[in-house]
Amino acid sequence: MNGLDRIMAIVVKEFRHLLRDPRVLATVLLLPIAQMLLFAYAISFDVRNVPTIVIDQDQTPASRAYVQTYSAGGFFQVRGDAAGIGDVDGIFRRGEASVVVVVPAGFERAITSGAKADVDVIVDGSDPNAARMGQAYALALNRLYGQQVAAVWAEKQGLDLSAAGGLDPRVRTWFNPDRQSSIFLIPGLVAVILMIVCVQQTAVTVVRERDLHTAEQMVVSPVTHTELIVGKLLPWTILAFFDMGMVVAVGMLVFGVPLRGSVVLLLVASLLFVFASLAMGVIVSTIAPSMETANVMALMLAFLPGLLLSGLAFPLESIPVVLQWVSSVFPARYMVDISRGVFLKGAGFSDEWPQLGSLALYTVVALFLAVRLYARKVRT
Amino acid sequence: MNVRHVRLLVWKEFVQLRRDPMLLRVVMIMPFVYLIMFGYVVAADVTHLPTAIVDLDHSVTSRQIDSAFSSTAYFDVKARPDTEAALQTLLDRGDVQVAIVIPDGTQAALDTGQVAGIGIVVDGADSQSSSVGTSYAMQIIADLNQARAADLGAGALPGVDARVRVEYNQTLASVNTMIPGLLASVLMVTLMVVLSQAVVKERESGTLEQMFTTPVSRGEYLVGKLLPYGLLACAQSAITAFVGTWWFGVPFTGSVWIVCLGLLLFMLTTIGLGLLVSLVSRTRQQAQQTIMFVMLPMFILSGFIFPIESMPAPIQPFTKLIPLTHAVVILRASFVKGSGLADLAEPFLYLVGFAIVIFGAAIIAVRRRLSE
Repeated sequence: MNGLDRIMAIVVKEFRHLLRDPRVLATVLLLPIAQMLLFAYAISFDVRNVPTIVIDQDQTPASRAYVQTYSAGGFFQVRGDAAGIGDVDGIFRRGEASVVVVVPAGFERAITSGAKADVDVIVDGSDPNAARMGQAYALALNRLYGQQVAAVWAEKQGLDLSAAGGLDPRVRTWFNPDRQSSIFLIPGLVAVILMIVCVQQTAVTVVRERDLHTAEQMVVSPVTHTELIVGKLLPWTILAFFDMGMVVAVGMLVFGVPLRGSVVLLLVASLLFVFASLAMGVIVSTIAPSMETANVMALMLAFLPGLLLSGLAFPLESIPVVLQWVSSVFPARYMVDISRGVFLKGAGFSDEWPQLGSLALYTVVALFLAVRLYARKVRT
Repeated sequence: MNVRHVRLLVWKEFVQLRRDPMLLRVVMIMPFVYLIMFGYVVAADVTHLPTAIVDLDHSVTSRQIDSAFSSTAYFDVKARPDTEAALQTLLDRGDVQVAIVIPDGTQAALDTGQVAGIGIVVDGADSQSSSVGTSYAMQIIADLNQARAADLGAGALPGVDARVRVEYNQTLASVNTMIPGLLASVLMVTLMVVLSQAVVKERESGTLEQMFTTPVSRGEYLVGKLLPYGLLACAQSAITAFVGTWWFGVPFTGSVWIVCLGLLLFMLTTIGLGLLVSLVSRTRQQAQQTIMFVMLPMFILSGFIFPIESMPAPIQPFTKLIPLTHAVVILRASFVKGSGLADLAEPFLYLVGFAIVIFGAAIIAVRRRLSE
């Protein structure tokens, strides 16, 4: 028997393990799709329909017309009106609304008499994103409404209108007018999903072998460490590529993600990335003495950095510099960058070579470490 | 229930934990990793957005707008192209994420008392930057309007004087909402991952049968199994709360009792889920897979990271079925807003319901399985 036969024997053995446990196989195949659907639909910071409560203490045609403007825009979702001003704290504490608009009595009188009508807009700061948007939209809305009021009044009085004008922000969204995050996210998700599957799975399968004391039996067989590792990782490489194919297919067919760039680049990068992730899995498995530990560590090393330090959903530019350095230690950010470039921007080798180089370097180092650590672990 | 039996069982778990010191270490490091990740990455407030300004008006007003945008930390003006068409390449290449377009005739429109539109172009591909960029830009324009109105004496004109103010978390720092939710999340990850393995592990190694040849009862076995990990998870939450308030300066305005009660109820649901997964799995690998499958949607849909209001409407009702959603509401409200028990009646009722159903089902199922 030569080395290749031995590797194949291990590959067959691993696949048999998998087939004997169809649930694990099903999860490995379904989890990426489930993850993709979840992320594609749920990751959004776009604020709309902010729950709003209006306290109209004036109850006049003018105040009602004013209040109406809140419902009209689509940003505020007027959920009803509350009794008195004292209720604002209660509304926020119960979480019934994020914005409360108070129109005090005398609103109409002030407007018709040519004075400024006071209005209070109180925003719940405990959801900063919604609060910031709420603040901005409320200011813009009131500004515009005030201008209309001023224009009507000035016309009646026959006055110069020059002071009534103002700047009106008109927001346009490019590339992705519906602000659907999915198109932007899916190329990055391909990378992160690959990483999660690879790291977690390899970490656990290797530890399991040790837990069940079959690792010793392996050692007495003529299989060398390298053969064993290659044999163990090959099935997962195949599965990882299958997962990736599925994610890409669903992304392109269901979500309409374009594939504009070089497919070869994507394949080369994915191959490097899969190896890097598998190596990381092996490293975790050599450090972790039990499956629980391997699991928690894989979560901490693959899932969190993959999701948070890859630039997938949170822009890397806005995190502290130290963490930006940390992020370059994880391969996910290079892969996310390459994947995004290939899918969305039509990038080729010439555009992404620094990322590809980093990824290659990372893969070589990780594989080297993995083999060394694994060999040391088996020997002891 | 014999206290001595329980104590011995707890001691046994701790002895086992000592054999696997890595788990203990990892579990204790976890809150810090999470704190760093969520405190600095997820809660990082977006600033220095790369911006382009297209000034087609070349007027006093357009220069005012330009300097207003250049002088804040929110925008980094990277380019000042002469035409709007040039924006295409800038946005395409990702050189800028926001563009401000001041159309020709802005000054003229203002001089005749008309409303002049200012274009705010955002790169919609990046959800967070586009949403934050929009609100910052609108805010700056609102400030400009205000200053202009004051200069022109428009105070004399009728209009609406909106006093927009923020209550609670006035600085709008995201950390203040992220860290309270983290208390529950850390606890959830530990308990679900560890407990999902608990029963399968003893079954796999055949020690479960040995256990029941001893005088230990099933109830004692369960308590002995759950207590150590419950304590461990509480320690994690406590570390998170301490570092959160001390290092990240998260305000705590509520009542400790409400936080503890909420966490306790939430803990019961996660213990229940962990045990249920452990019961339906034959091997540890299966248990681990299943728990990933269960945990991920809970994380993403709970509103802990991504706001529920931003999710598609058909998904939103499902978020109520996730215990973490309610735990996050309770923790946030009591940290930031100082909400009382009466204010949080709804999420608490949900949690009580989940605790009874999930924990109850888990206990019944475990007892039945253990009696087999």
